[in-house]
Amino acid sequence: MDGILNVVHAYKVTRSIKIGLDSDDIQRVMRNGMCTNPSRIFGPMQTFWALFQKELKLELRQKHALAGVLLYVLATVFVCYLGFQQIESAKTWGALLWVTGVFTAFNAMQKSFATESSGTHLYMYSLANPRAIILSKAAYNALFVAVLNLISVFFFILFFGTKPLADMDVAQFLLGLLLGSTGLGLALTFVAGIAFRSGAGVGLVAILGFPVIIPLLITIVRHTTLSLEGASALANSLNLVVLIVLNVVSFALSYLLFPYLWRE
Amino acid sequence: MKNWLKITCIGLLLYTAVFSLWHPMGPGGLAVSATKLHPGRNEFEFKGYATHFKEAESSLQVYVSVDSSGVYCADILQVVDESRVIVSVFLPDTISSKRFGFAANNDIDGTVIVDSPVGHDGFQFVPGTSNSLCQYRVNQEEFSRYGFPYQPIIIESIRNLMWHVPMWFTMFVLMTISFIFSIRALGKEEGRVDLDHDTRASAAAAVGVVFCVLGLITGSLWARFTWGDWWTNDPQLNGAMVVFMVYVAYFILRNSTPDEEKRARLSAIFNIFAFVLMVVLLMVMPRFTEGLHPGKSGNPAFSKYDLDSSLRSVFYPACAGFILLGYWIYRLNYRIQKLEQHDETHA
Repeated sequence: MDGILNVVHAYKVTRSIKIGLDSDDIQRVMRNGMCTNPSRIFGPMQTFWALFQKELKLELRQKHALAGVLLYVLATVFVCYLGFQQIESAKTWGALLWVTGVFTAFNAMQKSFATESSGTHLYMYSLANPRAIILSKAAYNALFVAVLNLISVFFFILFFGTKPLADMDVAQFLLGLLLGSTGLGLALTFVAGIAFRSGAGVGLVAILGFPVIIPLLITIVRHTTLSLEGASALANSLNLVVLIVLNVVSFALSYLLFPYLWRE
Repeated sequence: MKNWLKITCIGLLLYTAVFSLWHPMGPGGLAVSATKLHPGRNEFEFKGYATHFKEAESSLQVYVSVDSSGVYCADILQVVDESRVIVSVFLPDTISSKRFGFAANNDIDGTVIVDSPVGHDGFQFVPGTSNSLCQYRVNQEEFSRYGFPYQPIIIESIRNLMWHVPMWFTMFVLMTISFIFSIRALGKEEGRVDLDHDTRASAAAAVGVVFCVLGLITGSLWARFTWGDWWTNDPQLNGAMVVFMVYVAYFILRNSTPDEEKRARLSAIFNIFAFVLMVVLLMVMPRFTEGLHPGKSGNPAFSKYDLDSSLRSVFYPACAGFILLGYWIYRLNYRIQKLEQHDETHA
């Protein structure tokens, strides 16, 4: 047991050096061995940033997984193209974009917790504040979903042309895309955490996640449609407010409840 | 009294059942047989609902109004029965608006109005003309209307108000109980969950889901009658369906987590999530979106016009009765689950 602890300890020290702590902090880690209150050694922002980088590095390191998600996006848009051939209305375009977006988000989310072993979880629990963990995961996933959605927009334009986008309000559209993606990222990361913890596997993510994101989905489809039709910012402001509220609610609930989810 | 809660509950529900099904409807105007009005003599039949045309034949008056500018008295040709009267009205060539209204007045029913669009043919429209006004009475207040208020389209289905709406109130109360116990289950002490509170939360949510289904069924029936479809694209309907799915997901989550402590913690967390979602879906979002439910854009509740005293006298007891019933079933469900847990641990 001592041997294992020493290894963990040594790993932690090297890690803390990488993150850039001063020698006093390292001394404290050395003295205390297992650190009981991680936030005392690692500041919340430092932890958050380190974990965020970890997510990003893991993603980039597993190129096959990344390629898999991208292929999924391409295949979904291509299936839409085969089914529809051409899209005239902004409504159909927006709805299809978000149907693709939702499935992509689910696909991306399932690996968020599942790729980590329970050992990693125990280690992270001892090392970092659970709030920093969920925030880093959620922020990373939100960003990842936003990037994937941008890619799927690119594919949509590639296959369907720019005809449905003739009256588009680009700023509004991009704002909606960002808020929709962050909303999906926040809500689904949390749900994926619950599903993962239950031990029932990835199937539960979809069962728990779908009803939860429907309000977000209704609003974002409405927002995207209006922005594609070139409606004024005022006409779309209500949808924007609802989107922001849903984002804030997802964020607040994740932030408040994740520590309870995390402890064993 | 030991069982005062149960007796009150049964009493209130019996009162609701009897009163909501047997209390008569108030009088109202159903339709007119005319599809098109033209200058000169028009003969048509005025149909009322729950009116007393025959009984109050001597005081019966029927008139046609053209927007707010002119009212034309009709000659009563024949009172067929209590709810049907054949009349004839003379209309001039020039009128000020294309919109016709029909009303009947008598000493028993007061004024009843038919407000369905009727076509026109051969009129000259001169804004501001006000032609032969007849002596008509609008003295609604004098009559003590006994019965549920008449509303076009809804008519008798107003009785469903006493069944459909309390279902949702009860669901809200039960989900709130579930939500509170979920918070308490989590907040016991560092790293522990309160299993008893978790049992209470799930027992309340289970009954809440049943009331949600009952609300959906009664609502669907009502929608078929008034809006023409079993399901319509209304924010409250869609929201209710999502709430139903979220709570079903809650029970799927519970059943797929074998470890007790873990199940309690995870389902409590998800339940808090679900409750917040329910508040957003059923209380916040319908206020901002267009819909078919009464009192839209601002307030999804019934306005003072809809809830008159005769409706209130049944509606509030109905709400109280169903909430008590929901609480009662929740208590039973909780005790059943406790006994089952007891059996499991002592088996």
